[in-house]
Amino acid sequence: MTLTLLAAAPKGPLDTWSPTLFALFALLLPLIALLIILAFTIDSRRLSAAIAVIFTLATVICAVIVVAIELAHPLHLERNGTFLQFFTGQSGAANEFILQWGVLADPLAAVMLLTVSLVSLLVQVYALGSIRREDGPIRFFCVLLLATFAMIGVTLSTTYFELLLFFGVTTLSTYLMIGHWWQREDATAAASRAFIVSAIGDVGLLIGIAYIYFRFNELNFQTLAGQYTGGKVSGNGLFIMSILVFIGAAAKSAQFPLHIWLPGSAQAPAPAAALIHSAGSALCGVYLIARAYALFHASPRGLALLAIIGGLTAVLGVVWALFQDNLKRAIAFTTMSELGLMVLALSIGAYGAGVFEVFTQAWPKALLFLAAGVIIRELRTERMAEMGGLWQRMRFTGWITLIAVAAAAGVPPFSSFWSKDAILSKALAIGSLPAIALITAVTLLGTIALVRVFMLVFMGETARRRRFEPERIRDATGRVAVAMVIFAVACVVAGLRGFRGRTDPIGFVTFPGVPISNSHFVAAGTIAVAALVGAAIGWALFSRRRRPMAGLEPVRRVVAEGFFLDRAYRLAAAGALLPAGRASGWIETRVVDGALDLVSESVGFAGQPRRWLGDARLRQLLIGLFAGVVILAVVTILLAGRLIGKTG
Amino acid sequence: MTLLEAVPTTTAAPAQFPTVLLSAMVWVPAIAAIALLFFPARTDLHRGRIRSFVLATTGVVLGLGVVMWYGFRDQTGTYAYEETRGWLPSIGSSYHLGVDGVSMPLLLLSAFLFVFAVLASTRVREQPKEYFVLLLILETGVNGVFASLDYLLFFLFWQLQAVPMFLLIARFGGPRRLKAAWKFLAVDLAGSALLLLAILILYFKAPVRTFDIVTLHDVTLPAALATMICWLFFIAFAVRLPVLPFHTGFIDAQAQAPAPIGLVLTGLTVKLGGYGIIRVNVGEFQDAWHKIVGAVVVIAVVTVLWAAIAALAQDDLRRLIGYIVMSHMGLVLLGAASAAPVAVNGAVLLMLADGLTAALLVLLAAAIIERANTSSIAAMGGIAGRMGRGAALWVLAALAAIGFPGLAGFIGQLLIVLGAYPSHRIATPLAVLGILLVSGAMIWAVQRILFGALPERHGRIRDLGTLELANGVGLISLIVLLGVLPAILMDSINFSVITLLSRGGG
Repeated sequence: MTLTLLAAAPKGPLDTWSPTLFALFALLLPLIALLIILAFTIDSRRLSAAIAVIFTLATVICAVIVVAIELAHPLHLERNGTFLQFFTGQSGAANEFILQWGVLADPLAAVMLLTVSLVSLLVQVYALGSIRREDGPIRFFCVLLLATFAMIGVTLSTTYFELLLFFGVTTLSTYLMIGHWWQREDATAAASRAFIVSAIGDVGLLIGIAYIYFRFNELNFQTLAGQYTGGKVSGNGLFIMSILVFIGAAAKSAQFPLHIWLPGSAQAPAPAAALIHSAGSALCGVYLIARAYALFHASPRGLALLAIIGGLTAVLGVVWALFQDNLKRAIAFTTMSELGLMVLALSIGAYGAGVFEVFTQAWPKALLFLAAGVIIRELRTERMAEMGGLWQRMRFTGWITLIAVAAAAGVPPFSSFWSKDAILSKALAIGSLPAIALITAVTLLGTIALVRVFMLVFMGETARRRRFEPERIRDATGRVAVAMVIFAVACVVAGLRGFRGRTDPIGFVTFPGVPISNSHFVAAGTIAVAALVGAAIGWALFSRRRRPMAGLEPVRRVVAEGFFLDRAYRLAAAGALLPAGRASGWIETRVVDGALDLVSESVGFAGQPRRWLGDARLRQLLIGLFAGVVILAVVTILLAGRLIGKTG
Repeated sequence: MTLLEAVPTTTAAPAQFPTVLLSAMVWVPAIAAIALLFFPARTDLHRGRIRSFVLATTGVVLGLGVVMWYGFRDQTGTYAYEETRGWLPSIGSSYHLGVDGVSMPLLLLSAFLFVFAVLASTRVREQPKEYFVLLLILETGVNGVFASLDYLLFFLFWQLQAVPMFLLIARFGGPRRLKAAWKFLAVDLAGSALLLLAILILYFKAPVRTFDIVTLHDVTLPAALATMICWLFFIAFAVRLPVLPFHTGFIDAQAQAPAPIGLVLTGLTVKLGGYGIIRVNVGEFQDAWHKIVGAVVVIAVVTVLWAAIAALAQDDLRRLIGYIVMSHMGLVLLGAASAAPVAVNGAVLLMLADGLTAALLVLLAAAIIERANTSSIAAMGGIAGRMGRGAALWVLAALAAIGFPGLAGFIGQLLIVLGAYPSHRIATPLAVLGILLVSGAMIWAVQRILFGALPERHGRIRDLGTLELANGVGLISLIVLLGVLPAILMDSINFSVITLLSRGGG
C-alpha cells in the first residue's frame, strides 16, 4: 500500500533520488568488500565474513531503494562513463570509437538486482553456519562476493561491452565456486568444464558484438533497441546476430547443447550451488535475452530459435531429472528445465511473466540446494538410494524442502504457480498449441521429478550403510536454519500478485510492443491441476522404494547420463583436438625441425663451435665480441671523421 | 668533435626534455656492461655487488622510460624525443632516434621487463659477470631497435640483440641448450639476411641515397618493387614473430632458456617482430601491404590456430607458454594486417599485455619447475596445496593469458576482433576460435598443475619466496593497471597509429 501511496504523491523523496546512484552503490559495494578483505582482513575469518555480510546487506538496501524508486517511476535511466575512447580518423568528429560502461535502472534491472543481492545475502548467512574452518571460509566469502559483484554487473550493464566484461567475471566466479574443493578431481574437472562452456558462450557473444558493432557502430542496449528495425540490417543479419547473442546466453543458462556444465556445478559447496542456480551465472543468459529482447523481437526466426531450444531444454531437463540418483544433480536438472521454460516464455512474448518466473524460481531453487547441503552433510552421501526416512529425523528440513518443492513445482499458492500461470496465460492468448502443451507437460513432469526427490529422501526407511548411524543425524540449526526459514517465507510470498498496474509484477517489467495478457482462470486451473496431479503421481510412484525393473536398466542409465552427451563431447574434443595437437607436434619435430637441422648441420659452423662454446671460453668470446664492437666503433668514427673532414 | 654535435631537429620538440633521453635509454646499459667488465667476480659479495649494479642500471633505464612516458603525453609531431646526429653521411645514414606512440609503450615495456629479468636472475651461480654483461647488451639492442629511425641503425641494433640472446641461451640454458640456441640463431640469421636484403634493395632503388626511415617514407617506388620489399620485410619480421613454419626455433629456445632470458625472449624479442611489421610494413609500405594482406591474414589465422592446438597437446610447461605467446602474436599479426585503426591499436596493446603476461607465466613456470623438478605437466598436480600464493598468481596469470576481462589482454583482443572484423569476416571468427582453444589449454593446464591430489614426491614444496612473490605481484599490478585503465597509453598509441595509417606511403 505504501508504495502505491508514494507513487501517487506528486513530490516525494523518490522524485529527487537518483536510482542509478543507488544502482552504482549496489554494484560497487561487493567489490569494495572484496578489496577490503583482500587487503586488510585476509587473516581473520570472523572479520572477513562480517565484512562480506554487512556489505551485502548494504547492497540489498540499495537494491530495495532502487526497486522502490522504480515502482514509483518506472523509467529507464542510465549513468554512463567512458572506458576507452579514441578517434579513428584524423578529423576528430568523423569516427569515434568508444567503449562505455555504466549502470542503468529500469524495472527489469531492479527486479534482478533485488533477487541477486537478497539471495547472495541469505546464502552468505547460511554459509556462516555451514562452512567450516577447513573448507577455506575466507576464500569462499571472497568468491561469493566476486560472484555477487559479477552478477550485479551483468544486471546493471548498459552496453554489450560491459555485459561481456561481467560475463567474464561471472565465468571466473563460477569456476572458482565449483572448484572450491580443489583437491577433488571431479570438482576441478566440473569447474574446468563450466569455464570452457562459458568461454564458448563468451566467444560466441564476442563475435556477435563484433558483428553488431560493425553494423550499428553502437553497443548500448537502449540506443540499439530502436535501431534493429530501422532497416540497416537485413532479416538474415538480425537472425545471425540473435544466434550469436543466444550462444552467449545459452552457454550461461545451460540451454540444450551447452547444458553440460550445469549438472557438474552441483559440485560447488551448497551455498555456492544455491547462488549459481537461483540468481547466479545460470540466470545470466535468461537476463541477457531479456535485456537484448529488442534484437530477438526484431527477428521472428530468432524468437523461433529461442522457442525451440528453450522447449527442448525444458523437456530434456525434466526427463533427465527423473532418472537421477544423485540428489544435487537431480535438482540441477530441474533448474535446467526451468531455465528452458524461462527462455520459452520470453520467446512467446511472455516478457514480464518470464522475468517473474526468474524471480519466483530463485527462492525455491536456492532453498532446495541449501536443504540438500544440510542433508548431504549429515548423511555423508549424495546418492538418494542411500537416503530415505529422514522425515522422522529432520522434521524441520523436511518441511522446508516440502515448501521448496511445492514452490518450485507450481503448486498453488506458492511462488512459481503465479508465474507459470502468467506464462500459460500468454500461451493461451496467442493460441500456440505446442507452447501450451509444453508448459503443461513440463509443469507436470517437473512436479513428479521434484516430488520424487522429496519422497526418496524423506519417506521410506533410511538405508543402512556400514559405519553410519542414522541416530546421529541432527537437523539444521542456527544461522543455517534462519537463512532457510527466510527463503521459505520468500517461497510463499514471492508470487504475490499485487494490484493492477505496476505493482503487479507482470505489469511492472514490460517490453514496449509486447502486450501483457492478464491471467486466465483456465491457465491457473491447468497449472494447478498439472501440479497437483504431478504431485499425486510422484507420491504414488515413489512412496515405496522399489527396485528398478531390470529390463529398463539400460534405458535408465542412458537417460540418467544425459544421453551420454557429456561423454560424447569429451570424446569429440579428445578425438579431434588432441590428435591434431600431436600431429602438429609430429610435423614440427619431423618436418620443420628436420629441415632446420639439415640446414644448420650442412652449414658446418654448427659442429665445431658447439664444443668450443660448451666450456668456459665464453669469457674469451665475450672479450672478442667487445673488441670487435670497439674496433668497429673506432674505425667507423675515424672513417666518418675523415669523410666529414673531406666534405667539410 | 664535429661528429657528435647535435643537429637541430626539424620537428618541434614536444616537451622541454633533453633530446639525449633516448640515447641514454639505449646506451646506458651498454656503458654499464663495459664498466661491469672491470668488476671482480670472485666472491659472493662481488657477485651480489654485480647484481645490485645491474639492477641499478636497469632501474635508471626504467626511470628514463617513465620520464619518457610522462613527457610524451602532450606530443604533437610524428616522432618525439628525436635525435639526429651525423654518423655516416657519405652513405646517407645518420644516428636518428625517435619514438612515437607505437614504439614508446614497447620501449617502456622493455624497461620494465629488464628490471624484472634482473630481479629474477637469482639462480646464476657461475659466471654471473658474463651473464649480466650479455643481459645489458641485450637491453641495448632491444631498446635500440625500438628507438631507431634509420634502417641501418635498426639493422645493427637488430643484430646486437640477436647475438647476446644466442650466447645467453647457449651458455646458461637447460640441458639441450646448445641445439636450441643454434636453431634459434639459424632461423634468426636467415630472417636477418632477408632484413638486410630488403634494406639494401630499398637503399639502392630509392632515388634518394639515405637509410632514414622518415625520409624514405616520402619516396615512391615502383609498385612491384615495393611489393617485393614489403614481402622481404614481412618475412624477416614474421620469422621473429614467430609465424607458423619458423616457430620451432623460438619454442625450443623458450623451453631451454633460463627463466629471466625466457622472460626477455617471450616478452620482448618476439615483440620486435610485431613492432617491425607495424612500423615498416603497415607504416611505410601501406599500398604494398594492402596487396599482400590476403596472404598475411591466412598466415596469421593458421598461426593462431596451430599454436592453440599445439598448446592443447603440449605436456612441457615451458613449451606451452611458448605456444600461447605464438598464438597471441598471430592475433597481433591479424590486427596489423587489417590495417584498421582500432585493430592496430589493439595489436599494440596486445603486444604490451602479452609481454607482461608472458613474463609472469615464464617466472611462475620457472618457480614451479624448479620445485617440482620436472617440466612435464602430467607429472605435476595438487601443487596448490603447497603453494597457496603461487597458485593464486598462477590462476591470475592464466586468466591474463586467456584475455580475461579486467586484465590487459582482454582490451587488446577485443580491439583486434572489433577492428579486424569488418575487413576480414571469416578470418576473425576463426582467430577467435583460437582464443577459445587457448583458454581451454590454459584452464586444462591449470587444473592439471595446481589442483587434484598432491603426489607424495611434492610434499616438501615451498611456497613462493618474497622476491618471487614481489615479481609476480609487480607484473600482475601492471597487467591489472593496463586492463582497467588502458586510456593511460591508448591516447598516445592511437595518435600515432592514426598518423601512421593516414599519411599513406609507398
